Amino acid sequence: MIDHGATERRILKTELRWAVFVGFLVLMILGAIVYAGISMHINPPSNREFIDPKTLHLSGEFTEANLGTSVDTDGQVTTRVIATQFSFVPQCVVVPANRTVTLRFASPDVIHGILVSGTNVNTMVVPGYVSQVHTEFTRTGDLLMPCHEYCGFGHSQMLATVRVVPPEQFRPGPDGKVTCG
Amino acid sequence: MNVGDPIEQSALDRRWRLWASAAVGGILVVGAVIGMLVLPNFQRENAALDLWTAICRAVGITEGSPAYRQPITTAQALPVSQVAWDPDVLDILANANPQQGAQIAAQVCVACHGENGVSSVLEYPSLAGQSSAAIYKQLSDYRSGARVHELMTPYAAQLTVPQLASVSVYYGRFAQQATGLGGRDLPGDDYIVKLAREGDSARALPACDSCHVPGAGGPIETPVLTGQNLQYLAAQLRAYKTGDRQNDVYRRMRDISEKLTEQEIDGLARYYRGVLF
Repeated sequence: MIDHGATERRILKTELRWAVFVGFLVLMILGAIVYAGISMHINPPSNREFIDPKTLHLSGEFTEANLGTSVDTDGQVTTRVIATQFSFVPQCVVVPANRTVTLRFASPDVIHGILVSGTNVNTMVVPGYVSQVHTEFTRTGDLLMPCHEYCGFGHSQMLATVRVVPPEQFRPGPDGKVTCG
Repeated sequence: MNVGDPIEQSALDRRWRLWASAAVGGILVVGAVIGMLVLPNFQRENAALDLWTAICRAVGITEGSPAYRQPITTAQALPVSQVAWDPDVLDILANANPQQGAQIAAQVCVACHGENGVSSVLEYPSLAGQSSAAIYKQLSDYRSGARVHELMTPYAAQLTVPQLASVSVYYGRFAQQATGLGGRDLPGDDYIVKLAREGDSARALPACDSCHVPGAGGPIETPVLTGQNLQYLAAQLRAYKTGDRQNDVYRRMRDISEKLTEQEIDGLARYYRGVLF
């Protein structure tokens, strides 16, 4: 005769052991998130900002002349890029190394995606919303920024350049603008 | 009753289900408290925010990140074209009267743009094959001054918006009769054909065909190039290249034309001339 009670206790013991292990993993992950959040200012991309895609080119912020990198009077570096079928505007942006840069993307037509190779910049660009990423580039040089969300027949030719320059070579003009020139 | 009987098994599992649900729910609550209350409190110093604003940003009620200052801009809008495809404009096009458009076309347009919208003057574009949206965009831009031409600017300025729409709809009807990809000869060498059909990834040049053939799926105002007059196409590409023409929203054509060589411009214009009917 099989002792069902003993089998039950053995299963219970195993399950409890695994539950403790899984609980430990969850705590480790939460701890890592909290550590990263406090020490590196990392938080989930919760930016929820609406913008009308139909009138994007009539807006002040995403008007053609305001695109690209600009430095405001407080020294905050903001780079604004439009993702459209089938190019990024501007096609090349300059950013300083080792300094917080705020990247703001918008689309007037369909869903695009942005990925700056070799960095943690990776976001969808959804019409109707502003996609915003805060980051610090550490490697200087020309980085490739392709569209990574299929947007139409010209998708595979949709790419731009992010030029990361040393801080001393990052010189804004009188209007605060910095271009690839 | 045996162990393993469905009813007894269910009763046996009940305690586990409750505890497992409590554990998952508890972790969710703890996660929400950490992510939406604790972390914003630690992160807000970097952006000099008060606790309530930081929490609202973390939750996603207000825009911005709890850890960074939200950029502001005072930039003035300097649009290259006033045309926006909002429902009002689409309504105007949908309700436009093609008969009125036909009258205006017979009085004004045919002299240069030809019978049935097929222009025999090579400097002027054929309008047959274009969508109503494509024609409306250019007429509106002439009217607002976003695009300038010695003849078109005064003509467009004389017409009202509903009249522009009626002309656009009248010519848009010829789009059905115009040829698509099938019926044209393909003058041009292999390199030009490849550029038109596949683009050039190394130069970030999308294929012309990805927007400029019927039903390609690009922006709504994109004109169809198949069958267009050679001289007109080449002149427009050069105008975009030099910046003489700037009414392409978000530099779509200026950025492309700047990368094209003079030979490529001539080659592409010849390729798209093709045959119309």
